[in-house]
Parts: sequence; C-alpha cells; structure tokens
Amino acid sequence: MVAAARCRPVPVFSTGYLAALDRRQWPLPLPVMTDQPQTESVEERTARFESDALIYLDQLYSAAMRMTRNPQDAEDLVQETYAKAFAAFHQFKQGTNLKAWLYRILTNSFINTYRKKQRQPAQDPHEQIEDWQLARAESHTAVGLKSAEMQALEHLPDSDVKDALQQIPEDFRLAVYLADVEGFAYKEIAEIMGTPVGTVMSRLHRGRGQLRTLLADYARERGLLRDELKREVSP
Amino acid sequence: MSCGKPHEVDCSQVLERVYIFIDNELATADCQQIQQHLDECGPCLRAVDLERLVKALVARSCAESAPDALRQRVMFSIRQVQLEISDHRLKFD
Repeated sequence: MVAAARCRPVPVFSTGYLAALDRRQWPLPLPVMTDQPQTESVEERTARFESDALIYLDQLYSAAMRMTRNPQDAEDLVQETYAKAFAAFHQFKQGTNLKAWLYRILTNSFINTYRKKQRQPAQDPHEQIEDWQLARAESHTAVGLKSAEMQALEHLPDSDVKDALQQIPEDFRLAVYLADVEGFAYKEIAEIMGTPVGTVMSRLHRGRGQLRTLLADYARERGLLRDELKREVSP
Repeated sequence: MSCGKPHEVDCSQVLERVYIFIDNELATADCQQIQQHLDECGPCLRAVDLERLVKALVARSCAESAPDALRQRVMFSIRQVQLEISDHRLKFD
C-alpha cells in the first residue's frame, strides 16, 4: 500500500484550541500560572516557544520513533505534541523543566492516540522472559562469561540495539529510554509516565534484564558470543 | 552469590542496587559504600560495568535527526495554533 500524503490534521486544529484544552486529553502537570500570559502578546509567546521548545525536536522525534516504531507515525506524533504544547504553553511555568513537560505531552499523546491505534498484542516470544533467566544477571559466578559478554555487546551495531529495544514491552522500553537516553531522574520519569517511582524502578529492572538477554542473543547470532552450553556438549 | 571474600556490604546487596547505583539515584553515603565494595570486589565491578555498558549502548543507538519536513510541519502547526489564539483574543478580550 502506498503511504498517503502525510499531513494529517492535528486534533487541535479541527476542534479549536480551546476545545482541545477543555477536553484535557492529556493531563497537564502544572497548575494554571498567571505570571506572564496576559501581558505577553501572542507573537511574543510564539517566539518564546520556538526558541525554548524547538531545540528538543530531534530528541522528541527519536523518542517518538522508539514509541511508534515507524517514521510516519513518529512525525505525526511529534507534530501533535508541539501543537498541544504550544496551545497550553501559557500554563507552563517558566523556569521549570520544559523538556520533561514536552515529554509528558508526547507520552500522553502516544498513549491516547497511537497505542490504541496500534493495538499490538504481545507478539514476540521474548515478552514473557522468565525470572530465572533474569536471575542470571543477579549472579556473578561466571566471571569469564561476563567479560566475554561485554566485549561482544560492545561490537553490536546500533540497529541490533534498536531492534532489541523494540522487542521489550512498551512500558519497559519507555522507562529505559527515558533513563538511558534522556537521563531523566526516576522522579521525572514517574511524572512523565504518570506512575509511582516504585513502578518506574521495577520497569527499569525488568526492561534492562530483558534487554540484556536479547542483546546477548543477538551477539550469539552474529557469532560475537559463543553459546557456552553448546560448547560443553561438543567434544 | 558472594565472591567468598568478606565485605562490609554483601555482594548480593550491591547487585540488588546496581541499577539505582548506575542511575545516580542512591544517597551519597550508600554510593560511597558501594564504591568501596567495587574497589575490593572484581566480580561485582564487572557486573556494574556490564550494566553501564548496556546503558551506554542504548544511549548511543537511539539518536535520530528529525527530517527537515517535520520541522516545517511543526512550525506550520505552531502558526495555526497562534492564529486560533489571536482569533479568540479578538473575540473575547
């Protein structure tokens, strides 16, 4: 199927900006601030938004790529995020964390629109990795193995790491992404994802455990890491 | 899961907190305890290094550049919303 022209109207336009605000499809994390909005002209606000928020375009697009798994949806999601963020920008308190605020809008837009659309069931065998497999990470009895694993993982191409990330469950993937790529603190990730900090920690724990298992599999497939069990069996 | 040597903090306690440690989410005092353990315990150090490596791999692999067309679309969206806001102000202010 040929991809249609990608200029899907963002919901904000079709229904009007105030309607979008009223619907509150995305939770706005901050109280309405009355510091500057009435004295700031629309043009001034636009200029401020463009200079402060557009610098995160590449980052938001990278995150959107990991969320939606394809460039077209990622672009739509980022466009929607910026439109919503600008429509609500008068509520953003200057001096607080704009990047985290944009990520929160991105995450909520993704959950509200794209996740429903995608409806991808647990389609891969790795989602149900058993805890005994994760337990391997807890043990350090096999010191030689660990060094071999490090050397192997270092040589994995980026595409393998991205593929592996795509295979872990979405909530785990997002937590790992926000921590490792963006360097957000647990508390910020909790706010962005709308979950308690404990949930973030458990998602990171399970997500990273699964990711490592997958990366080791990729390394084995590429011949970078020997399968120790097979070696024991062969003469 | 101990390396067999006596440590002030047990290996299992270090490994339990490896993610919190590499994410810099531990209190300074706990960090120092773990750092001291890592200075003494090679196996735990390798375990921590491996987790740091995976973290670095993820960071390295995920950087994308937004296409120019997207930047144009985003700017266009912002102008559209700006128009809506201006219209609203004209009507109600």
